Amino acid sequence: MNIDTASRMPDHLPFAQPGHLGKSPVWLDDIRQQAIERFRKDGFPTTKIEAWKFTNLGPLARTTFREAIDRPALTRADLEPYRLTPDCHLIVFVNGQFRPDLSALDHIPDGTRVVDSSAADEDDLRALTAEPAVAEDSRARTLFDLNTACMSGGAVVHLGPGAILDPVQLLFVARPAAEPTAFHLRNLIRADAGCSATVLESYIGLGEGIYWTNAVTQVAVAPNAVLRHYKLQAEAGSAFHVASTSVRLDHRAAYRLFVASLGSALGRNEIDLDLAMTDTVARLAGITLARGAQHLDTTIRLDHSKPCGTSSQEFKSVVDGRARSVFQGRIRVAPDAQKTDAQQVSRSLLLSGTAGADTKPALEILADDVKCSHGATIGDLDEDALFYLRARGVSEPEARKMLIDAFIGELIDRITLDTARGYFRAAFDRWLSEGSRS
Amino acid sequence: MLKIEDLHVEVDHKEILHGLDLEVPEGEVHAVMGPNGSGKSTLAYALAGRDGYAVTRGRIHYGDRDLTAMAPEERAREGIFLAFQYPVEIPGVMNANFLKSAVNAVRRHRGETELDAIEFLKLARQKLKLLNMDEALLSRPINVGFSGGEKKRNEIFQMWMLDPRLAVLDETDSGLDIDALKIVAEGVNTFRGPGRAILLITHYQRLLDYIVPDKVHVLAGGRIIKSGGKELALELEAKGYADLVKAAAA
Repeated sequence: MNIDTASRMPDHLPFAQPGHLGKSPVWLDDIRQQAIERFRKDGFPTTKIEAWKFTNLGPLARTTFREAIDRPALTRADLEPYRLTPDCHLIVFVNGQFRPDLSALDHIPDGTRVVDSSAADEDDLRALTAEPAVAEDSRARTLFDLNTACMSGGAVVHLGPGAILDPVQLLFVARPAAEPTAFHLRNLIRADAGCSATVLESYIGLGEGIYWTNAVTQVAVAPNAVLRHYKLQAEAGSAFHVASTSVRLDHRAAYRLFVASLGSALGRNEIDLDLAMTDTVARLAGITLARGAQHLDTTIRLDHSKPCGTSSQEFKSVVDGRARSVFQGRIRVAPDAQKTDAQQVSRSLLLSGTAGADTKPALEILADDVKCSHGATIGDLDEDALFYLRARGVSEPEARKMLIDAFIGELIDRITLDTARGYFRAAFDRWLSEGSRS
Repeated sequence: MLKIEDLHVEVDHKEILHGLDLEVPEGEVHAVMGPNGSGKSTLAYALAGRDGYAVTRGRIHYGDRDLTAMAPEERAREGIFLAFQYPVEIPGVMNANFLKSAVNAVRRHRGETELDAIEFLKLARQKLKLLNMDEALLSRPINVGFSGGEKKRNEIFQMWMLDPRLAVLDETDSGLDIDALKIVAEGVNTFRGPGRAILLITHYQRLLDYIVPDKVHVLAGGRIIKSGGKELALELEAKGYADLVKAAAA
């Protein structure tokens, strides 16, 4: 550890020290130094900042976190229920620490790396610490900065040119301790030219307790490469989950993302995506399921920087209890990004009178030959449909389940990979059956 | 089988049924006819137990039970079936999944064994064939993209699958051309018999050419104002409701 952490961390920060990234080169020290200075200056984003107006980080900012140092005793069998398949490539982090004992990386083919970030080479380190793909008010980005300053672990998945890799799962397990702990994870998914890959990020909470996952995942998809990216956020009920996924697409790159957010008390999932070169395709979809007092936010910033890009966003939320879902989706089409096709749809289903949803689409179109559309709906369960089902003998909980399932089902059905579809289907079914018990 | 006494029903704090009396004995088909706004659909929904249709007075006896406090699904499991005037389209819910759940909920309630997927399919195919319907219907979402006639036939198909004791058919003839009407009527006629009762709610006499009722009741202003044999329907067709309503008010 080359960074003189003690002198560089602001006093009021509860974090003991920034983490380890092997031998830290000077340029990296500079990046981290600048990041912490920005955080020191602006602190946690507040609702006064446009990008955060629906999500109040107060409860997070007021919590004192310590660094996770213990090494929870877990076995592979403990993690079995959370694996995509029993034999997929697997890299496991528990409380932010790489756990080779729980990972399954024996069959990674030549030309492809799946490693802990401490083993990243300088080239990957640069990609890992790149700026977010889309420009934004720096005051809205201070958690990204904090992550840069404090990052202590994470996965680097780098597929060489033309590589074809079976699904890789990045499994982040939190085992909460008595005191609140924070994990600043920094991941890299890099798909070199012409390769084809499937990566699943799973964030799982085992047991209850307060913790904070602050994750940044950098994604770079090179020319003619295809990346299918899945993410399951199933953190523990009193957790904070703040994640920033930053994606750059090169010429003719194709990117698919499916995100499911169902865990944590307060969750924010930011996706920054730059269709940075011509003829790119990005298909984003996600489902948020919130109940109790959960607050789950999905914020997307998508730039069409070059011509002939196609993007679609389809996000749905189901909100029960006093919970709240937020969807913000900004599409920007640069002046020379002609022949852009950008679609966005967000739909929220409120299951109770006290549930809420905020949705804010924004289109900023600076080119003239484009097709852009967005639509947003917020509604209740269809009473007519509910009565129809019940009048045929289906119980009310079962009828509600059928209608919720119908609402999210079309997005699940569109998950291309069978095993991933089954994985998410099982997670949603668990959520639905937990609801009918309460 | 069904005995309604002094039924008062409010919708949005407004009383629609003002003391309705009606009795449908087992094995019989009764028609309730009435002008628009007389309370026909309110009667249908009150029988099925729809939320928002508050029974403020009176009783609905069904066999030896009082329906008024029962949830819609309990009534359905007890053997009451409402064929909707406007069957609801439910995107994303497959007919087969829904109907299998419904059939098995009813069977469980009756103490019968549940049908597995194969048994269900076998039964469904058999009934669909009798109704001259395509079994592709099973894998389609409920009523989505169905024509008016298909929706009504789907109601009759569901009725056959659920095997109720009391069927309430709310304006089942509306929106049907003559061929569809015949098919639906045949479906109902096949269904009538001992151990069952049918209540046909309709505005027009037309349906009663094909399903001949044992009795006809005239509903107007939230009450049954006249009851008679099947000839009463023809009288209404010839003279309209106005005279009858006037006479009842006098």
